[in-house]
Amino acid sequence: MSAPGSGTDVRFGHTQLPQEQQDALRKAKKYEWITIGFLAASTALVFGVLGNSQAMKAAWVEDVLSFLPPIAFLFATRVIRRHPSEDHPYGYHRAVGIAHVVAAVALTVMGAYLIVDSAIGLLSAEHPTIGGFNFFGQTIWLGWLMITAMVLTAGPPIWLGRVKMKLAEKLHDKVLYADADMNKADWMTALAAAVGVAGIGIGWWWADYAAALVISGSILHDGVRNTRAAVSALMDKRAMTYDDDAPHPLGRQLDTYLCGLPWAETAKSRIRDEGHVFHVESFVVPARGTMPTLDQIEAAREACVAMDWKVQDMVIVPVAELPSEFLPGPTPGGEH
Amino acid sequence: MRRHTLVAVLLAGVMLVAGCGTYPVDPQGTLEKVRGGTLRVGASPNGDWVRISGQDTLGTDAVQGSEAELVRQFAQTLGADVEWTIGTEQVLAEELKHGGLDLVIGGLDDKTPWSTHAGLTRPYAESRDGRGSLHKHIMLVPMGENAFLLELDAFLKSAAAQA
Repeated sequence: MSAPGSGTDVRFGHTQLPQEQQDALRKAKKYEWITIGFLAASTALVFGVLGNSQAMKAAWVEDVLSFLPPIAFLFATRVIRRHPSEDHPYGYHRAVGIAHVVAAVALTVMGAYLIVDSAIGLLSAEHPTIGGFNFFGQTIWLGWLMITAMVLTAGPPIWLGRVKMKLAEKLHDKVLYADADMNKADWMTALAAAVGVAGIGIGWWWADYAAALVISGSILHDGVRNTRAAVSALMDKRAMTYDDDAPHPLGRQLDTYLCGLPWAETAKSRIRDEGHVFHVESFVVPARGTMPTLDQIEAAREACVAMDWKVQDMVIVPVAELPSEFLPGPTPGGEH
Repeated sequence: MRRHTLVAVLLAGVMLVAGCGTYPVDPQGTLEKVRGGTLRVGASPNGDWVRISGQDTLGTDAVQGSEAELVRQFAQTLGADVEWTIGTEQVLAEELKHGGLDLVIGGLDDKTPWSTHAGLTRPYAESRDGRGSLHKHIMLVPMGENAFLLELDAFLKSAAAQA
């Protein structure tokens, strides 16, 4: 439909990104690389002091899994730059969704595994053994080192999460959102592990498993929530806001605009969220049964495309009456 | 709101811990029982690390070797008497797991399969076998008795520094 844009730089498929989104994308990439750098340092640090603590093990696994969303994001932003081709007429936008599913399933599986592992440890009453380590000729308790490592790694993700959350909204990127959301909650994992180890110190061997259960529960929770969001996105759920909180306002905006056209009697759109951009099919019933001219249709399409950068791949279909089988909802025959 | 409650609980936990005197603490109180009392040691014969000399396996001097010597010194620092039990690794590891012993020696290294039954000290010595592979030597302690383990780790460290 649309001629390939003549613009230069950054695009998702054939959607040319506005300046604001280009900046957001550049920043998002930068912060994802910073995240990966931070994670590399923190996983190495935590691995060095793992010891026999189940809570530390769970926290470490969560750190390792935290690599997945940034990698998925960076990978997907590369793939979706490709133009649609004969073999992939809708473009490569779904790469985002696939990356999201893979990351979410990994979280779910590891969360479930750690819950079982921690529960077995708790039930078999295996007391976690943490001895001394050599600190400049002094032998001090390894637990102190574990607590220090956890406290050190608790802070930075909060900041990274906050920054990335804003960018996720601008880019309408759900992988970035999931990543930011996990980062923001990461300090609780770190603190839980620290408290678990501190609990071992006062002779409460079970505190370690309790902390591990809290952490693995949060991993599982993240996993299930993300899997649900990612799968329903791939199932062409109606377009939602970046945080899946509400239906995306763009749908209403498009319908309102189309209904308001002088040549249109009524209109309704069906929108697919392809990851960043939307694919829109708008059914319009012309007023008094008179077909609009090609120019009128094209002008309406261009006005819709100009409304938001996410709308590019859009078709307007003039119909005699709204096809209720394609447009469930307020029209009869639809599901809820 | 729920998050704030969680933070409050966790912080209270940390402060509780910081306020405690002796740290870490043994869940079963091994260090306190041994101090000024009896150190129950299982010994499994193995090379120069643990040797059983003479027929009198119940005599205090029957157990010899470098690890037996270390154990005697350690008991001395705690003002404890050593009560020896001689047996195979398996028998001793089982006994340790069920609280019948406080310490097991036998020239074991950090690859010991008995880590399922016991906690390991830090490696305090290294040796090479006939095939040239390196062994990092450890002793076995009851799982989770961290105060006792830390005491022993510190002792082994200082003993190695003096040797």
